[in-house]
Order: sequence, then structure tokens, then C-alpha cells
Amino acid sequence: MDQVVQKPAEIPGYTLAITAESLYLLNLLAIPGLAFLILLWLFFKYENSSPLLGACHLRQTFSASIWAGVLLLLVNGVIFAVGGYQTPYTWVIAVLYFTICHTTLVLLGLLGLAKAIAGQSFHYPLIGPTC
Amino acid sequence: MLYSSQAVAKPYFIAAIALFVGQILFGLIIGLQYVVGDFLFPILPFNVARMVHTHLLIVWLLLGFMGAAYFIVPEEADKELHSPKLAILLFWVFLIMVVLTLLGYLLVSYATLANLTGNRFWPTMGREYLEQPTISKLVLLIVAIGFVYNIGMTIFQGRKTVINLVLLTGLIGLAVLFLFAFYNPDNVVLGKYYRWWTIHLWFECVWLLIMAALLAFVLMKITGVARELIDKWLYVITAAVLMTGILGTGHHYYWIGTPEYWQWWGSIFSAIEPIPFFVLTVFAFTMVNIRCCEHPNKAATLWALGTAVVAFLGAGVLGFLQALAPINYYTHGTQITSAHAHLAFFGAYAMVVLTMISYAMPMLRGRAAANSHRSQVLEKWSFWLMTVSMTFIALLITTAGTLQVYWQRFVAEPLPFMAVQEKLVVFYWMREVAGLIFLIGLVVYVISFFVGGEDKGETSAGVN
Ligand code: HEM
Ligand code: HEM
Ligand SMILES: [Fe+2]
Repeated sequence: MDQVVQKPAEIPGYTLAITAESLYLLNLLAIPGLAFLILLWLFFKYENSSPLLGACHLRQTFSASIWAGVLLLLVNGVIFAVGGYQTPYTWVIAVLYFTICHTTLVLLGLLGLAKAIAGQSFHYPLIGPTC
Repeated sequence: MLYSSQAVAKPYFIAAIALFVGQILFGLIIGLQYVVGDFLFPILPFNVARMVHTHLLIVWLLLGFMGAAYFIVPEEADKELHSPKLAILLFWVFLIMVVLTLLGYLLVSYATLANLTGNRFWPTMGREYLEQPTISKLVLLIVAIGFVYNIGMTIFQGRKTVINLVLLTGLIGLAVLFLFAFYNPDNVVLGKYYRWWTIHLWFECVWLLIMAALLAFVLMKITGVARELIDKWLYVITAAVLMTGILGTGHHYYWIGTPEYWQWWGSIFSAIEPIPFFVLTVFAFTMVNIRCCEHPNKAATLWALGTAVVAFLGAGVLGFLQALAPINYYTHGTQITSAHAHLAFFGAYAMVVLTMISYAMPMLRGRAAANSHRSQVLEKWSFWLMTVSMTFIALLITTAGTLQVYWQRFVAEPLPFMAVQEKLVVFYWMREVAGLIFLIGLVVYVISFFVGGEDKGETSAGVN
């Protein structure tokens, strides 16, 4: 057995990694905006000064959160701006788009959190930087 | 397999799969009747075929749960099952009840069935999911009690693990809550009110405990992660289920004549109801991340992870989507409800039973630990075919539902029900196509049991 993997909590940056993933999820699910501000603050404070694991999750979630904002708010805004509120197909596209997009982002966050708890790094496909 | 009495699980699993196939065939029939109105009319009307579809669903899942418990409990309790004979006897009693009930549905009209079975003496029929004649319900109750007794005695006399205790709690809850199916007062509001104590509290409370225990067991076995860690997660999940699911019942009390405060309580508790599904997903992936894949049964790992994810999508996402009172005001009882019902049932309960079968069946059939590589490849194909097609069914029906809500309930001059349904035909056709792909997946699944090849042996993973 790989010793490092057995005791994930002892890996430096472990708490920061879990905090970052949790904030990413909170931003999507419970306290949008506020959680992002805390993540923003953590990012500027610790991005360059924390152990590899923490820095990686921090960069990933920070970038993914920005993408999430763009994908959810901006695109939905555009859907309604173009379609208007009065046609059913705008609603269909908006509901489907929002549900699928939001759910995918949350699922990625769940995978990221599961990686963080296991003390491993995680790369958000397409919306996260390499680290 | 550690104990020979675990073998009683096998007939349960086989019967479960057979009835699952039946459920899907009837699903396809009603799916077709949606678009070809008089398909099979008057031999098999829609309402009857629909009842068979959901009846088969409930009973195959119950068979799956019982089989799973008979497999898990002896191993966890570290002793043989209290009475394997009773388990086999109850299996046949249950199966005969299921088949007779089915014949009753298919051969005579529902009213005749009610008359024949003496519904007038103790009326319990006629409510969705609880359509079974009172006698069938009584048989089901007796089987449930005998089953819980058998499992309970085994645990009582053996090792008491957290997995066993959570499982037992869920199973006792299942039997006790079923008692409300026998209470059918004349007051329709009261009747509907208590119906949810069986239906909602089954699906969103006690069955969830059963599901969590089954997943925890399989994850522990296939990853080999320490039991203590598994137990901690299971405690958290159990607490989350109980704290959210019980009062979550309120989301069925918005518009049935119950007091208005339920609109608040139902909404508040529904908003946190996705939490257990959320934790389950993180749990499953964390376990696999921490220690993965030494066990040769890769298919079971896939099913376990898939269960967590699809349950989250079907229950946590699609359930929540319509759970807040101001939204449910528009979506109540539409295709949006149906989309949620399908993905939640498939993701949470169908998939967890398939996970359990995937893990246990190779051993029940005398293999060391897992099926041959070739068989597992087929099984994984069936996983993807069924999961993807069911996701498509849910998306198509959500789309149909959104349009239905718009034309039927949102616009200033709403259209009549059937006028709206006509506009949605294209989605129902696509649902039927996705359903056929689902059936292909299921056939591939069944075939995977008959594919030979060299089995995969046991590894060092089983430390618990
Ligand atoms: C595995 C878990 C679940 C299963 C199997 C399930 C199944 C079902 C089924 C079959 C129905 C239709 C019942 C009927 O109309 O007769 C239903 C309705 C409903 N479910 Fe779930 N559900 C699950 C979890 C959830 C969760 C977590 C939520 C909320 C967050 C939820 C919210 C609702 C609501 C609000 C309705 C009523 C829809 C309406 O007004 O028509 N469900 N569910
Ligand atoms: C694969 C092909 C399937 C098709 C074509 C299909 C089709 C249908 C149809 C047409 C209905 C009736 C909806 C209505 O009354 O308007 C229905 C109901 C239902 N089906 Fe299926 N079904 C399929 C598979 C499944 C599976 C795999 C599950 C669960 C594991 C399932 C669970 C249910 C439930 C719970 C209901 C009752 C829904 C409610 O109360 O809202 N079905 N199905
Ligand atoms: Fe419910």
C-alpha cells in the first residue's frame, strides 16, 4: 500500500484543499457570491505561499468558479435577452441549459472534493488551469 | 462468500431481474400507448399497464433489497442466517403473491378484482403504488415481518456492525411504514396525507438508509478501505437522511387540502433534502480515491459510483427542481414529476440493487470473486446503455414537462390538457426510442450472466 495515501490528512495543504473545494460548492449551491469572495481572498493570500496540494485545489476552484459565473449568469442572461420571456422555447432552453450546466459544475465540485478529502489533486476539465 | 446461508439471496436476485425485465416491457407498452392511443386496446388499457409497470418496479426492488440483506447480514454478523428455510419459504410466498396480483390486474377489470378480493371489507385499493388488493398487501406485510425477524435475529445473535444496524433500521422502517397502506379513511385529504407516510417516507427516508448501507458494504468490500472510515460516513449519511427526509414529506402537502404552513416546511426541508445524496456521492468517490481497484470486480465498482451519481441527478437535482412550493404550484403532477420519478428510482434503487447483484452474484454462482473479463465488459456496456438512455428519458420528459407547464398552466389563456399533449408527441416518440435502447442495455445485462471465460480470483483487498 502507498503510505502517503493511507493518511491523507497529514499531507501539507490538506485543509486548504478541502476548504477551496467546499467554497466552490457553496458558491454554486448555498451562498453564491459570498463564498466566491472568500475564495477570492484565500486565492490572493495563499496561492503562491501554500503547499502543492492546497495551491492546486485553490487555483482549480478559483478558475472554475469564474467560469461557472460566466456559464451560468452570462449565458442565461443572453438566452433570455435573445428569446424573451414570452416564448415557451426560451424557457425550455433556459431550464435545460441551466440544469445541465449547473449540475455538471456541481458534479465536478463533488469529484474535486472527493479528491481533496483523499489528499489528491484534481484537474477541472476545460475550466481549470493545469497545476 | 463466507457463509453457506448467504446463498438464499440467489433466487431473490434472479426473480428481481426477471421482474425488472417485465417492468421495462410494460414501460415500453405505456410509452407507446402515449403516442398510439389504442395500441392493445381493449385487451390492455393504459391505466392497467401503468399499474403493472409501477407494481413490478416496487416488487422487484423489494426482492432486491431482501436478497441484498440476506447476503450482507450473515457476513457482517459473522454467523449463519437465523433461518435459511424461512427465507426460502418467504421467497415463494412473496413470488406467488406477486404473480397472482399481476394476473388479477391483467385478467379481470380492477373493479372485479376489488370485488373478488373483498376490498369492501377493508378498502385499501385504488391509490397509486398501493393498488394491490388488501390480501396482497397483507401477504406483503407478513413476508416483511418474517424477513425482518429473520434478519433481526441474525444480527441480534451476531456481530453488530454499523452497516448491519443501519440496514436493519431501514428494513424495520420499511415494514412499519407499510402499515399506513392499510389505513384508508373516507376523508380524501386524510387518505392522501397518510399515503405519503408510506410512499414518501419509503423513498426518501427508510429506503435511503437501506441504499446507504448496501453501498457502504459494497464499497468497503471492493476498495478495502478500513471499516472505521466507512462507518463514519455512514453515520453522517444516516443523520442527513433523517434530518431532511422526514419533514421533507411536506413537499407533498402543498395543494391537497392540508394547512398552508406546509408550503413553508415542505420547501425548507426539501431545500436541504439533496444533502444526503450529495454526501453519498462524495463518500463513494472518496473511498475509491483512497484505495482503489484491487478487487477484480470492476463492474461492481462502476455500478457503485454510478448509483451515487445518478441518484444525485435524479433525486437531488430533479427532485429539488420541483420541490419549492412556488415552483411546484406550476409543476405538480406534470411530466416534470415523471422525469424525476424515473431518474430517481433508477439511479437510487434500481442501480443500488444492480450494484449489489453485480458484487454478490459471481460468488453466489461459485466464482472466487468476480466474473470473467469478457462478462464484465458486457456488464459495463449494459451499465452505460441503461444509464445514458435513462438520463435521456429524464431530459426528454423534463423538456416535455416544461412545455406542458407553459401551455397548460403559465400562459394567460391556458390550453386544455389533451391539446397540450398533442403538441408534445415528438418528445414521447423520442422517449420510446430511448426506452428501446434501455431495453437493449437490459438484454445485454442479462446476457452478461451467460458469458463464460476464466473468473477473476480473490485479492488481498478483503481486509474487513
Ligand atoms: C431516491 C429518492 C427519490 C425517489 C425514488 C423519488 C420518487 C418520487 C416519485 C415516484 C414521485 C411521484 C409520486 C406521485 O406523484 O405519486 C415523486 C414526487 C416528488 N418528489 Fe421525489 N423521489 C426521491 C427524492 C426526492 C428528493 C430528494 C426531493 C426533493 C429535494 C423530491 C421531491 C419530490 C417532489 C416535490 C415531488 C412531488 C412532485 C409533484 O408535485 O407532482 N424527491 N418522487
Ligand atoms: C425504459 C423504458 C421506460 C419507459 C418507456 C417508461 C414509461 C413510463 C410511462 C409512460 C409512465 C406513465 C407516466 C404517466 O402516467 O403519465 C411511467 C411511469 C413510471 N415509471 Fe416508467 N418507463 C420506463 C422505465 C422505467 C424505469 C427503469 C423505472 C424505474 C426504475 C420507471 C419508473 C416509473 C415510475 C416510478 C412511474 C410512475 C411515475 C409517477 O408517478 O409520476 N420506469 N413510465
Ligand atoms: Fe417526496
